[in-house]
Amino acid sequence: MTDMAVKAPMATRWFGSMQILVIGIVVLAVSGGTVHAFLTGKRELATAATVFCGIFVQALPFLALGVVISGLVATFISADRLARWLPRRPGAAILAAGVGGAALPGCECGSVPVARRLFGEEAVGAAALTFMLAAPAVNPVVLVATAVAFPGEPKMVAARCAASFLTAVIMGAAWSRFGRAEWITRKLPTPRDGDGSPWRVFTEVARHDFLQAASFLVLGAAAAATLQIVVPPWVFEHLAGQMLLGILTMAVLAVVLSLCSEADAFVAASLTMVPLVPRLVFLVVGPAIDLKLFAMQSGMFGRPFAMRFAPATFVIATLVATGVGLLMLGQR
Amino acid sequence: MSRETENALLLLVGLSTAIITITGTYTRYVKSSLLVWLAGTAVLLIGLALVAIVRDIRHGSGDHDGHTHRSAVAWLLVAPIGLLGFVVPPPISPEAARPSVTNVSTDVLRRPYPPLPAERAPTLSLPELLARVWRDSAGTLDDRLITVTGFVMQKGDHTELGRVVIICCAADASLARIRLAGPAAAQIASYPDNTWLKVEGKVPSGQGDSTRRTTPLMEVYRAEPTKPPDNTYAY
Repeated sequence: MTDMAVKAPMATRWFGSMQILVIGIVVLAVSGGTVHAFLTGKRELATAATVFCGIFVQALPFLALGVVISGLVATFISADRLARWLPRRPGAAILAAGVGGAALPGCECGSVPVARRLFGEEAVGAAALTFMLAAPAVNPVVLVATAVAFPGEPKMVAARCAASFLTAVIMGAAWSRFGRAEWITRKLPTPRDGDGSPWRVFTEVARHDFLQAASFLVLGAAAAATLQIVVPPWVFEHLAGQMLLGILTMAVLAVVLSLCSEADAFVAASLTMVPLVPRLVFLVVGPAIDLKLFAMQSGMFGRPFAMRFAPATFVIATLVATGVGLLMLGQR
Repeated sequence: MSRETENALLLLVGLSTAIITITGTYTRYVKSSLLVWLAGTAVLLIGLALVAIVRDIRHGSGDHDGHTHRSAVAWLLVAPIGLLGFVVPPPISPEAARPSVTNVSTDVLRRPYPPLPAERAPTLSLPELLARVWRDSAGTLDDRLITVTGFVMQKGDHTELGRVVIICCAADASLARIRLAGPAAAQIASYPDNTWLKVEGKVPSGQGDSTRRTTPLMEVYRAEPTKPPDNTYAY
C-alpha cells in the first residue's frame, strides 16, 4: 500500500527527469556543432574541455574494472567473511591490506569504489582505507613507470614505494584510532536477501557504484581541467633550488593536476628544475589524494568523511614523503 | 531523479564511449593503446544499463526499494555525454602543451639503439628522434638521412618542428620540438604556424646534451607540406 502512496505523485507528474533528459539530449544534438565551433575559437576553453575529456576517458576503463571488482566483492565476500580472513589484530590487518593493495595493479579511480565495498566495522574499515591508498601507489606498474622515468635514480623508486606504503598504513592506523562510523553518511544500497540472486546483486551493485563514482569523477575532472589551464608553466621555473617552497608547491600541484598514478612519474621527471625531494612529494601525494579522488570519496563515503580524511591524507603524505625523501635522497 | 533516468544516463555514457571508440576520436584524449579497454568499458556499461532496463520492465521499477534515496548528482554525467558524443573538443593545441620536453621513451638509459632500417631516409617519430639524439650511444643517426613529420612553429629568427606528446592522456600533454636549419630553412620560414610538414634531413652528431636545455638542431634538405595525421599526438 505504501508503494502506491509513494508512486502516485510520481505518476501524475507529467514533467519528470526523463523528459528533462530527452530535451537536454536534443538540445545537445542540435547545438553540438555550434559549441564545437565556439570552442575552436577560444583556445583555453578548448584546452580545458579536452583535458576534462582526457581525464574522464582515461579513468573510465579503470573505473569499469573497479566497479566489476566491487560488484564481485558485494556478491561473494560478506563483511564477516572478510573479517575472518584478515588477521585479528588491527595492526596486522592494516599491514596485510597494505601488502594486498601493493600486489594489485590498479588505478586510484577504481580503488575508491572497491574500498567502499570492502569497508566495514573497525579493523576491516581501517584495512579497506589502507588498501584504497596503497593499491594505486605501490603497485608494480607504477613502480616500473617510476624506474623508467628516473633512470640512474633507483632510490627514487624505493623512496616512493616506502613513503606511499607508510602513508597508507599511517592513515589506516589513524582511522582505527580516531575514525568515527557516523562520518560515513553515504549508505550503500544492498540488495535485499530475499530476491538476491548472485547475478542480480552483481549487476545492481556495479550499476550503482558506477553511477555514483562516475558522477563525482566528472566533478573532480572538471575542477582539475579548470585549474590546469590556470596554473601557468612558469610556476615551475621559480622552484629551482627552493626546497621548502618546492615541497609545498609540488604537494598542492599533485592535488590540482589530478594525474593518473601511472603517468605522474613522467611529469615529475620532466620538471628537471625542481629538486628531487619535492618531486617525490608530488609522486606520493598525487595517488593518495587529489581533486578527483576527493570528489569520489565524498560521493562514495560521504562529505563528513572526505572533509576529514582528505586533508589528513594530504598532510601525512606530504610529511612522510619529505621525511623519507630527506633520509633516502638527501638535500637534493 | 528516477531510476529510469539513471539507466538512460548509464546507457548514454556507454554509447558515447562506444562512439568515440568506433570513430577514433578517443585518440584526441588518450593513447590509442586504450582501444580494447574502452571497447570493453562500452560493452560493460551498455550491458549494465540494458540489464537494469529489462529487469525494470519485467518486474516493475526497482523504486520500491525505499532505502535508496536518489540524488541529483548523476545529472553531472550529462557533461561527458555532451562533450564526447556531441561537442567533440579538438586535440590539445601546441600552445597549450607544456613547453618542457618529457622523456617518453620506455628506456631512457643511455644505451646503443637498434640500427635504423636500411632505407634511404627512414621515418622516425619526433619523440623517437629526440630520444636517439639524447641517449643513443651507438650513433645510429650519424650521417643518416631521416624523415620526420610535425607542425611548423615560427620563432622569429628560426623555425621549429613540433609534435604534442602524451604519456597517458591529454592532461599530461607536452611539446617535443626540434630546430630546423640547413638548405631548406628559407623555404620552411615561409610556411605559417601549424602547417604540417614532412621534412627530410640529417641530425648533426654531438648534441647529446644531458641537461636538455637546448633544442636539438636538424639540417633539412627537403620539406613538403602534408595533411595533418588522424592522430595528431605522438607517444
